[in-house]
Amino acid sequence: MAHVVLKDLVKTYGSFKAVNNVSLTVNDGEFVALVGPSGCGKTTTLNLVAGLIPITSGDIVIGDRVVNDLDPKDRDIAMVFQNYALYPQKSVYKNLAFPLQMRRLPKEEIDRKVREAARVLDMTELLERKPRELSGGQQQRVALGRALVRDPSVFLMDEPLSNLDAKLRVQMRSEIKRFHQDLKATIIYVTHDQLEAVTMADRMAVMNGGYLQQYDSPAQVFAHPVNMFVASFVGSPAMSLVPLEASTANGKSVLTSAEGWSLELSPHNAQKVAKAKTRKIVLGARHSTIKLHKSAVPGSIPAKAYTVEPTGDVTFVQAFLSGALVNISMPPTIAVAPDEQIWLEFDQERMHLFDGETEMALKAH
Amino acid sequence: MSAIAGTASRGQARRRRIDGWRWSGRIFLVFILLYTALPMIWMLITSIKSGFAAMQFPPQWWPDQPTLASYQKLLDPQNSVGQDFLRFFWNSLFVSTATTILSVIVAVPAAYAFSRFTFPGRNFLFFAVLLRNMFPAVIFLVPLFILMRAIGLVNTHGSLILTYLTFGLPLAIWLLKGFYDNIPVQLEQAARIDGATRFQAFVLIVMPLSAPGIIATAIYSFIGAWNEYIYAYTFLSKNEQLTLPVGIQRFFSENTTDFPGLMAASFMMSVPVVVLFLVLQRYFVRALTEGAVKH
Amino acid sequence: MTILTGKAEAHRRLQSDKSGMLRKIWSHRADYAYVLPAIVVMLIVIAYPVYYTIELSFFNTPPGLQLRDKIFTGLDNYTAILKSPVFWKVTSNTLIWTLASTLIAFVLGFACALALHRDFAGRGILRAILIIPWVISAVAASYIWKWIYHSDFGIIGAVLVGLGLADRPPNFIDSVSTVLPSLIVVNIWREFPFAMIMMMAGLQTVPDQLLRAAKVDGANAWQRFCHVTFPHLRNVSTVTILLLAVANFNSFIIPWIMTGGGPSNASHIWITHIYELAFGRQRWGVASAYSVLLFMIVMSLGYFYVRALSGNERKDGSV
Ligand SMILES: Nc1ncnc2c1ncn2[C@@H]1O[C@H](COP(=O)(O)OP(=O)(O)OP(=O)(O)O)[C@@H](O)[C@H]1O
Ligand SMILES: [Mg+2]
Repeated sequence: MAHVVLKDLVKTYGSFKAVNNVSLTVNDGEFVALVGPSGCGKTTTLNLVAGLIPITSGDIVIGDRVVNDLDPKDRDIAMVFQNYALYPQKSVYKNLAFPLQMRRLPKEEIDRKVREAARVLDMTELLERKPRELSGGQQQRVALGRALVRDPSVFLMDEPLSNLDAKLRVQMRSEIKRFHQDLKATIIYVTHDQLEAVTMADRMAVMNGGYLQQYDSPAQVFAHPVNMFVASFVGSPAMSLVPLEASTANGKSVLTSAEGWSLELSPHNAQKVAKAKTRKIVLGARHSTIKLHKSAVPGSIPAKAYTVEPTGDVTFVQAFLSGALVNISMPPTIAVAPDEQIWLEFDQERMHLFDGETEMALKAH
Repeated sequence: MSAIAGTASRGQARRRRIDGWRWSGRIFLVFILLYTALPMIWMLITSIKSGFAAMQFPPQWWPDQPTLASYQKLLDPQNSVGQDFLRFFWNSLFVSTATTILSVIVAVPAAYAFSRFTFPGRNFLFFAVLLRNMFPAVIFLVPLFILMRAIGLVNTHGSLILTYLTFGLPLAIWLLKGFYDNIPVQLEQAARIDGATRFQAFVLIVMPLSAPGIIATAIYSFIGAWNEYIYAYTFLSKNEQLTLPVGIQRFFSENTTDFPGLMAASFMMSVPVVVLFLVLQRYFVRALTEGAVKH
Repeated sequence: MTILTGKAEAHRRLQSDKSGMLRKIWSHRADYAYVLPAIVVMLIVIAYPVYYTIELSFFNTPPGLQLRDKIFTGLDNYTAILKSPVFWKVTSNTLIWTLASTLIAFVLGFACALALHRDFAGRGILRAILIIPWVISAVAASYIWKWIYHSDFGIIGAVLVGLGLADRPPNFIDSVSTVLPSLIVVNIWREFPFAMIMMMAGLQTVPDQLLRAAKVDGANAWQRFCHVTFPHLRNVSTVTILLLAVANFNSFIIPWIMTGGGPSNASHIWITHIYELAFGRQRWGVASAYSVLLFMIVMSLGYFYVRALSGNERKDGSV
């Protein structure tokens, strides 16, 4: 196993920068998820690490070698592709054997390793089939097996679960996690599904528009998003973001809405706002940190329920505040009807404040 | 009750309509089969007549005395007709095979590059290549003749091979490009990560998947070269170098009434390409479907 | 770490040295190696001849190909062509030949593809037989049909006489009025299989789901053909028709071998006429001027061809 370092990695296509100065370190045995919306450069980054496309500038270190100019075959990596990329003309057995044949292992050893991998992944009876005779989940397992037979120092996985149905995805998710724990493998795992990243990874790297936004443990990313993009990308339903104006009323720091209401800030939050370079502040709140009242209480803000979605355990209510849609979760015991007048109370401790211009999170110091 | 009867009769009406289509299709197929096959059958029947039996009116629908004499004459290395015919046959085989091999060697990498790489001028070059089959052969005849004379290829098979190469290439490149477009690039990437070089990934993974396209390309080049007439007619003048189409034409202009011999020669000239095509035609149709038509 | 930055720096400097386009081409130099053989062959065999033909079309060339002695005559060759009555005769022959052959071959081929689309016993054999005329050499085809049309011993003449439709065997290819249609029949015989193969390949790509959906919606066979099958085949049809048209426009062997353009130019089409001018009468300049005109016509067809093909490209989505 080995660690991986990306240093100021840049990839341009013509004048378009698909990957922009990405630097990150993946420790030996760590499971890192690369997340971001479609087209943000995840696959490109992974392909750069794999050596499938030439880098424009920057460096990649795997183990202790700079691998910038090494062929993929010499980088000691394995990769699982989004669409599995199983060789359609070869049987499962031959698919698994191919990487070993390329390394000129003796026949008996190839056979032993292939059967071992097939046993681990529980597909011994599939060995003679062709990929098109397999279900999506089985194909996925073969793809994993092909990566596994070689025991490489780094595994790269490009959305390996995105073609599976929801149930199978949950199941494979735990299988991959299990596989990581057993092998202590270094894994870089690309996904656009933030839930996958949060549940599986030791650390997650959030990308947008070719830039690395934040690289931290899922808990940290969830609790302290560095900017509005990360805040709204991680967590489901997404964090609600309400654009407001900072001002002072009666010597107290408040956020006022164009709708006329204002929200008094706690001293800690007031300090953050005071540091901001602009008066435009965006308030961020996750659904669970907003409390819904059916009558006015001190510090609460009036709103109208827009939709009500009971899911069983919790009921989600959406309401418009300052033109932004806000998600609130509440126990199913409270009954709210659409268009009913409600009052919202924000948890000042767990509230996020962003600079309305730079979109960066505001800090107290 | 009446509702059920209604659907039943409607069902019958529909069946009758479909049958109408089917029957007109069958009748059409019979006609087209006659149109296609009768000339070839008449060629075969004539070829087993004697010269005298062929020249009769009304014609003998089936020869009184079928004879393979024409074939024997053409295939007999002892007499001069047989010697010529066999030599023409051999020349055609050589030129066509060489053209085919070279076409594949040139077309495969080009099609692959057009499919996979994005280099400046790629589209322009691709369409320039495709445009080749828009040009009439005659446009090239004079200048190519002069060019071949300049590089000393007149009266050699090399002049034909070089020229034929350009007939086959556009379609070959187009077909193969379609194939490569349909092969996910991830397969090659997977192979390269699995330890293959770029070249190995191509030979071990991509080539087998594009085999139908390569076979189709090869058939097309071979048949095109085998049947070509106008360049062979212009570039070659020495008798011992002629290919079959030109050779047969020469032969016939000296023996204007030997129709059985001519039909036998036509038949034998057709056998190799027809057999080749019939054996491999499913690849050809598949190649067209996957490579050219489906997009 | 310093080593790393140093290297990256060198990399960047190397890149900024060369200017945009050249650098781009340079960075793809390996890619060109793949297409180079194809391009070189094409250049030798296409670019040079095209240039040479255009040049020659402005010269008067003495017979015998002593091209050193050629005399520049400007547009004389072109005006001579447009003034000659043979030109108009040949042009109308070419139009009839191309249009009739292309359309009939396409319709027949398409009909065969449709009739052969449904599986039935013997379909494979039937299809194979129907393809044969396309595979065999046009020279062989010409001789076969020449024999069939033979004015004394031809089988068609014999059948017509036998059925009492004619007193004596007609002179199909020795008569000015019948020669062109007779040759067109031969040409179609050889070409409809190509249309059939193309359209068969096209038909296989018509999504079954769509046809079934149309059936559920109550469309009858004809409506399904008009609303689903045919629109889906528009691109293939265009390409097929264009390829046929170009092939017909450029055909040579059948008229050349069967009639040599006769009788009295009744079956001369452009290509045979050019060939005769060049290699028969050694009038290279005029022949070249003819070629240039032909070339321009074909290029305008080529424009539509490329458009039809690039329509495919775009839909296919591959870059
Ligand atoms: N060969 C290429 N030429 C030009 N642009 C490209 C090329 N490959 C990728 N891009 C562009 O680079 C950007 C990043 O692409 P990439 O495939 O890395 O996205 P991604 O994050 O993996 O998205 P997805 O989740 O949809 O897979 C995209 O905008 C894409 O259009
Ligand atoms: Mg991707």
